[in-house]
Amino acid sequence: MSILAVHPGAYYHIESFESPRHAGYFDQLVRPEDLGSVALEEHNVVLIPCRTPADRMAPHAARLRAYLDGGGTIVATGESESQLFLPGISFTPQPTNFWWWLTPGADLGVRIAAPEHALFQRLEQRDITWHLHGWFDAPPGAEILAVNGQGKPILYIDDVTTAGRMVLTSLDPFFHHGSHFMPATTRFLEGFLPWMRNTLDRKASQ
Amino acid sequence: MSVLLIHSHFGAVAPGYAEAALEGRLAIVRERDLGPADFARASGLITTTHLDQIGLLAHAEPLTALLDRGGRWFFNGHMLRSFVAGLGRYVPIEAPRRPDYKLTRLYEHPIFAGIEQSELEENKGVAGFYGRGHNPLPEGARAVNGIGPALLPVDWVWARPAGGHIFSHAGNDLSGMIGDHGHGAVLTQRIIAWCEGRLEA
Repeated sequence: MSILAVHPGAYYHIESFESPRHAGYFDQLVRPEDLGSVALEEHNVVLIPCRTPADRMAPHAARLRAYLDGGGTIVATGESESQLFLPGISFTPQPTNFWWWLTPGADLGVRIAAPEHALFQRLEQRDITWHLHGWFDAPPGAEILAVNGQGKPILYIDDVTTAGRMVLTSLDPFFHHGSHFMPATTRFLEGFLPWMRNTLDRKASQ
Repeated sequence: MSVLLIHSHFGAVAPGYAEAALEGRLAIVRERDLGPADFARASGLITTTHLDQIGLLAHAEPLTALLDRGGRWFFNGHMLRSFVAGLGRYVPIEAPRRPDYKLTRLYEHPIFAGIEQSELEENKGVAGFYGRGHNPLPEGARAVNGIGPALLPVDWVWARPAGGHIFSHAGNDLSGMIGDHGHGAVLTQRIIAWCEGRLEA
């Protein structure tokens, strides 16, 4: 049992990973620059949080790929340009409407696409609804968990591109939660992190 | 000498900073490429909310030297590491409500000259973007803007006894404060000017 979190060191990462509320979900923290000195295969999950600068991850792309090929699981949240350092990702950014909720009755359009999935025993639609930053063209066979208003994936599990598993989202919960900013993002983590521990913290092949 | 802007995030810097760099007033250095020489040739320093605070600790010595020789540092964000003796750890407002976001000018600092604090308080009629807590006021520092009924020092400026000045803004990047009144561009210019020593400390 082990979850390794990449720690880029911005205040929102520090608050998310180090404050007592959630620190227990991250068994080891590693700086992006130190990824080469960590035995990734000793960890069932490698978490790459929102707004991890892609140029700090890109030098480790081959190492991450090897970890996935060995059956590892990578969780990567939004605004990190994950397609620049993880395989098989096709991402289309979109302008973010930060103000959609000011219109009475407005609907951002986010929908749970797989209500039977275990994650949604812990999360409701309002817990995945804050901003949209873009969508993915998920590969055939991927499990789509949530979509935007056009039905495009914003949260999915890819266990077809590699022998391992990638949980990918364009949502950016760590950034907002770590900024003490948006209650929905805290609720998201309150559901997502226990699911990560209980479900993902094992080899994908098991 | 120019002002050093540590470029922490992946992507472009704010336009005002990019223009200042073209004018030779600002040296923009990607954080992962930072070295002691970047601090040694700087007269001032600007850091953003995306600063790798753990990484900056490795530069504590040249950072302190920059301040010791009279340099100025404009800090945006929540201080969660102790970079320089005398700094504290960010304190968020617990479960803030609208009155907790009220902003009050406590000292007429030139960075904010002519800008009503109330004009930074709301964006599209919504408050809470400016700040939601404070970095503790160092001993001897001057509170510039207070937040909430307790007037917590969301902005302060500190004439450090050992030399130099630190301006702390405990919120999103002040230069990105577009808001209803579009003050971000002006604030960007003033932040640079302050770091250059062209505005009163």
